[in-house]
Amino acid sequence: MSSQRELTLCEAIREAYVEEMRRDERVFMLGISIQAGTFPHTKNLCEEFGTHRVVDTPLAETGMAGCAMGAAQEGLRPILDFMYAGFSYFAGSEVFLQMGQYHFLHGSQHPLPIVMVGTCGVGRRVGNEHATLPYGMAIHHPGIKTCMPATPYDAKGLMKAAIRDDNPVLFLWHTNLMMHKGYVPEEDYVVPLGVADIKREGSDVTILASGLQVHSALKVAEKLKDEISVEVVDARSFEPFDRESLLRSIEKTTRLVIVDEDFERGGFAAEVSAQVMEHGYDLLDAPVRRVCHPNIPVPGGYIDVYTMPTSERIEEAVREVCR
Amino acid sequence: MSLTNDQKIVLFRNLARAMALDRMMMRVIRAGKMVGFYHEGGIALAPGIAAGAFLQKEDPMWPHYRAHGLAHMLSKGIDIKYYVAEHMGREAGCCKGRSSFHMSFPEDHVFGFSGNIGANFPLSVGYGFAAKYKQSGQVVMNCSGDGSYGEGRCHEALLMSANWKLPAVFWCEANGMAQHSNVKDLFPGPNVSSLAAGFGIPSMVVDGQDLFACAEAALQALAHVRQGNGPIFVECKTYRVQEHSVGGVNYEGPNQRDPELMAKWKETLNPLALAAARLLAEKVLTQEDIDQIKADAEREADEVEAFCEASPKALPSVAEMQAAVYTA
Repeated sequence: MSSQRELTLCEAIREAYVEEMRRDERVFMLGISIQAGTFPHTKNLCEEFGTHRVVDTPLAETGMAGCAMGAAQEGLRPILDFMYAGFSYFAGSEVFLQMGQYHFLHGSQHPLPIVMVGTCGVGRRVGNEHATLPYGMAIHHPGIKTCMPATPYDAKGLMKAAIRDDNPVLFLWHTNLMMHKGYVPEEDYVVPLGVADIKREGSDVTILASGLQVHSALKVAEKLKDEISVEVVDARSFEPFDRESLLRSIEKTTRLVIVDEDFERGGFAAEVSAQVMEHGYDLLDAPVRRVCHPNIPVPGGYIDVYTMPTSERIEEAVREVCR
Repeated sequence: MSLTNDQKIVLFRNLARAMALDRMMMRVIRAGKMVGFYHEGGIALAPGIAAGAFLQKEDPMWPHYRAHGLAHMLSKGIDIKYYVAEHMGREAGCCKGRSSFHMSFPEDHVFGFSGNIGANFPLSVGYGFAAKYKQSGQVVMNCSGDGSYGEGRCHEALLMSANWKLPAVFWCEANGMAQHSNVKDLFPGPNVSSLAAGFGIPSMVVDGQDLFACAEAALQALAHVRQGNGPIFVECKTYRVQEHSVGGVNYEGPNQRDPELMAKWKETLNPLALAAARLLAEKVLTQEDIDQIKADAEREADEVEAFCEASPKALPSVAEMQAAVYTA
C-alpha cells in the first residue's frame, strides 16, 4: 500500500520537517505566522514540537534571518521560513553577504547549517514580490546552495538533504505546485543536492527545467512525442548544479532548450548556457535557446500568464532548435 | 556593584595593553604593513575592556569596531595576535588571511565580524535565542556604537530580544560620531539608550572614560541578564578625537572638527591616566607598578607585531579557495 501513497508537495515538505525534527533536537523553525500555518507545510507542527521549536517572529525578516544565522553559529540548525521567497530581499545583506560568504571569510572554521525556505513563481497574478524566484540571485553569490523540487518525492528527499547539510541552503518551491500530488515513500530517504534527474527520456532535444516548468516541459514532450523525442532534465538543484548529467543528455540529443521562470538577463539559464558553451560546445548541433521571463517586472493582474514560460513558448523553442 | 582590587588591576592592565596595541596598529598601518583599513580606538577603549571582562568563554560577544575590537577580545581572554596577523594578511591570521579585518574565534564564541554596521544585532538575537533554546545559561554581549541605531535591523533586534526576554546586553559605546556626522544631527535626543524604554528594556548611562564605572555597569548588566530578566541597554559616553578611519579628515558634516578641542579631550580624558590616578589615590598600585604595566604592554605590542611579520603572507590559490567556500 505504501508504494501507492500520494502526498501533496506541501505535505511532503511537512513530512521531512517532522522526521528531521524528531531525529535532531537542534532543528527548529522560525518565520512569520508559521504556527497557524499560512501554508500547509507548517500546519499543526507546534502540536508535536511546541511553540519553542516552531517560532513565530515579529514581521521582521531582517531580524529573523540574522537570528537564524546567530542560532546556527551557536550550534542550532534553523529552518528559516520567508513565506514568500521574495520577502527574503528584506534580509539581502544577511542572506547574500553574510550567510553565504561568512564561512569562507572567516577561515572556513565554523559551519552555518541554515535552511531558508519560501514559495515563489509567476502565475498567481499578484505581482513581483510574491512571485520573484531568487535562485538566480542566490547562485550569483558564492556560499549558498539552492534547490527547487518539481515533485513531492523530490521535495521530501531534497528537504532532508537540505536540513542535514552544514551549509546555508535556499529551498524554494513553486506556489502553483504546493497542492500538486505525487508518490512519496514513508521511509527515510534523501535526494542529494547537486544531482539532476531525467524526468522523461528522449533523443532529439533536451529541455532543462525546474519546478513548475518541469511539468510544462513534460506536457510539451507528450504533445510532440510522435514528431520530436524530447528529454526532460530536471535540474532540481541550481547550486551545486549537475552539469555532467546535462552534458550527457546533450551528448545524446545534441540540442538544448533551457526553461527558466526567472528573468532572462543574467539568470540561471544564462549561466547554464555559458557553461554548455564552455564545456559542451562540440556536442551541440544547434544554438542553445532560453525560454525565460522577459526582462520586465513580474506583473500582477491578468497579464502574468503571458510573461511566464508557457508550454506554447517552450514548444516554439523546441521546434526552432530542431529545425 | 563594587570591584575588588584584583579586578581593578586586571582591568587597568588590559586597558594599557589595548591602548598599546592600538598605537602599534597605527604604526603598522602608517608603515604600509596593514592590508586593509583600521579604525583607531584612541581614548575610547575603556568600555570595550569592561564589556569583555566578566564574560565566560562560552558567552557570545560581538565587539565594537573601534580599535577593531582588540580591547573587547583581549579582555575576554582571547589571544589577539592571530587577529592582528589577519590585518597583515598573514597565514597565521585567524581567518587564514582572507578577510583583512574580521576576527574568528568560534571556540571563544566570537564568531566573526562584518563590514556592515548593525549586522551584529540580529545575530545577537540568534545567540540569545540559542542560549534560551539550549538552556545553556549563556549571556550575549552585543557591542556597538551609537551610530548603529540608525539601522532598522537594530530596532528589530531590540524588539525581538525584549519580546523573547533574551539574555543580551546591548552595550553601546557612544562616541557621538557616526562616520563623519555628529549623532546629535542624526538622532532626536541626547542618549540613544532612550530607545530602550520603548521596548520595555531597562537602560543606564555611564561615563565611558571611567574604566571602573564601565566595569561596574557591566557587572550590573550581566547580573540582570543572568537572572533571567531579559535584555538591558548600557550606554557608555565616550569620545572620538581622531578621524573615522585612518587616513581621512576628521569631519563633522561639511566642517573639520576643532583640532584644539580634540587635543584637549585627548589630554584630559585619557581613560588610562584617569584610572591610574584612581589606583594611586586608592593605594591599589604604586607608580612603579603602573610604569611596569605600561612597559609590559608596549613590549607585548612589539612582540605581537614581530609574530605577525614572521608569518608568511597568505596567498592561497583560487582552487584552494574554491574548495573552502562550503563546509564539506
